[in-house]
Amino acid sequence: MSGKRVLLALPAVLALSLSACGVAGGSSDDSDAQSTVSGEVKGEISFQTWNLKGGYEEYFNGLVKDFEEANPGTTVKWIDQPAEGYQDKLSADAAAGALPDVVDVGPEAAFTLASAGMLLDLSKTDAEAEANYLPKAWEANHFPSLGGTYAYPWYLNTGPSFFNTAVLEKCGVTGELPTSYDALFTAGMTMAEKCKSDASMVGRLPAIENFGSYGVPLMDEAGTTFTFNDAKGVELVNHYKELFAAGGLTEATLNELQTGEVDAFKAGQVGWLPGSSYTLKDLKETAPKIAETTEISPQITNDQPNMYIESLAVSAKSENTATAVAFAKFATDRENQLAFSQQAAIFPSAAGALEDEYFTKDDGTDETALRLESAKAVSEAIVYWPAAFSSKSVDYLREQIALAVLGKKDVQEALDESVEYANGNLPQ
Amino acid sequence: MTRGQKALRYGVLLGFFLLLAGPLLWQLSLSLKGAGDDLYAQPPQLVPSDPTLGNYSDVLDRVPVLRYVANSGLVALMVVGGNVIGATLAGYALARMKFRFRGLVTGLFVVALLVPIESIIIAQFLLVRSSGLADTLLGVALPTCVAALNVLLMRNAFQAIPPELEEAARVDGAGVWRRFWYICAPQVRGVMTVVAIFSFVGAWNDFLWPLIVLSSEENYTLTLGLNRLRGTFFSDPRLIAAGTIIALAPIIAVFALLQRYFFRGLQAGGIKG
Repeated sequence: MSGKRVLLALPAVLALSLSACGVAGGSSDDSDAQSTVSGEVKGEISFQTWNLKGGYEEYFNGLVKDFEEANPGTTVKWIDQPAEGYQDKLSADAAAGALPDVVDVGPEAAFTLASAGMLLDLSKTDAEAEANYLPKAWEANHFPSLGGTYAYPWYLNTGPSFFNTAVLEKCGVTGELPTSYDALFTAGMTMAEKCKSDASMVGRLPAIENFGSYGVPLMDEAGTTFTFNDAKGVELVNHYKELFAAGGLTEATLNELQTGEVDAFKAGQVGWLPGSSYTLKDLKETAPKIAETTEISPQITNDQPNMYIESLAVSAKSENTATAVAFAKFATDRENQLAFSQQAAIFPSAAGALEDEYFTKDDGTDETALRLESAKAVSEAIVYWPAAFSSKSVDYLREQIALAVLGKKDVQEALDESVEYANGNLPQ
Repeated sequence: MTRGQKALRYGVLLGFFLLLAGPLLWQLSLSLKGAGDDLYAQPPQLVPSDPTLGNYSDVLDRVPVLRYVANSGLVALMVVGGNVIGATLAGYALARMKFRFRGLVTGLFVVALLVPIESIIIAQFLLVRSSGLADTLLGVALPTCVAALNVLLMRNAFQAIPPELEEAARVDGAGVWRRFWYICAPQVRGVMTVVAIFSFVGAWNDFLWPLIVLSSEENYTLTLGLNRLRGTFFSDPRLIAAGTIIALAPIIAVFALLQRYFFRGLQAGGIKG
């Protein structure tokens, strides 16, 4: 599960003020932002990444150098932003008209910036590029409500389930590890009977992507209304409610974020951790005892596995779009993505990159097994989290589900209100 | 006092000490733990079993801490100076000078307290940017250089001085500046220390505003720079703890230097019979 995605915090107020300021900032050409990219691939552009300087300097300096050599006369200025507050920084820069030419964005940031007319619409400028990427990755940056596609897919992440077998055995769960939600909840009930609140299976309430992989339709076709309050969604929350009633979910869990879930797993209080490709390394470095009894199994899903995505968008206000687009495509092409994925534990979104030996050839180590397993999941995974579902809506949904699980609110009512809230947060 | 009462009293004191200093001690212990320590051991271990200073040298390797400390120090200096001088002068004016709209101006300062920074941060950024101060330390310091809260604190401190004191000076022929400098300012030194400490801590710990103003790394303040310790995909809690302790050291130093005045300010309110 993406630690990075969860780091995106507060910025809904900013998102609102961004759309207001964007207009005030003199962007009269919002509606028909550039629809063609012309000009020579020359001159200087800026390229902004998000928290990738610590550890990947060599890769990015190499990437910039390769591009400059392949395109004489160009200069790329690489900027990297710290982990926290990235979305706020983007909003402020966009409002000031100082967005870098090529920016690293998650779907939510892409959606916010695109709604304010700040990003190049690739469906108008570069529709053929679609063929170069995994279809599901390309789709993640297509926003039906805005009618365009706003970023080149870059790196992906997904992860299998991590089970602490010592905890599972202690609490009476034996045999095959769960791979579906039903099996997970059944095992959770067994644990609840045996261990009460000493240890539980689940360490966090379901988030929007869990609804997706449970099989709940999240949004309508047009991307204008959320739909996760249907019978299936209610069913999912009811499972958590039953689990809580049986003692298989602690009260502390109800307001837990992803980092809290990881900590609880590392402390041996939780049996199941929906992980990512770097979770194994994390466990080995910070909680070696837990790592010893941890077993990896395919991601829990009733449908396709879930994945997270980071993309590269081109600023619609760029003064050098030709170079910016050329660089964004260069950085996300098969070769460069493959090189990056070999340095960082992430997965390439470029078409065909997952067929590389690096993702298909087993060498017998845990790490490789994990990588192959995850790569297989990525090739069929979906970015469930709708870009239009803001981090404010994420918090709201969690609070509503917590109320429902506690029995203070009807499940249907809680979901209805969450849907209403999320709809209200969509740009008008 | 019986022995039982005494024990109870010390028990309560100890409890509060643990409550307040506990998290700090935990960070300190975390920052000294080596690779052999299980960070999530149950029950938690306070004394590292594999102690090392390696985390600190790692932090220094990964982040040019000294440069960031210098930047943060410069910002803090501007903010502390601005607040101590600006808020004291403004506070005196609001408390003691008679001018039209004084009540209105005081009201404006109170209203300014109610505006949450998040709601104006972008407008503030546009303003700083159009003044050509984007990506400068002055741009970071300027908006908090004279904080409304500090002006009100100083105003109340000046108001607490008995008017007779100043009237006596006036009779002796002292002008406004003399009365301010020789009579009133020495009485509020304690509150000035409070203002200095608060504005120092505020400037030192601020994250969001410097993040938005600054764009080149050589201008980063310490909070921004230490954020680099958060790994791209997962972080080592030991490194973060070491960074926290490094960032905390100057705050403790400033407090230690000023605590004499700080407590005098809190106790005596600056006035003697």
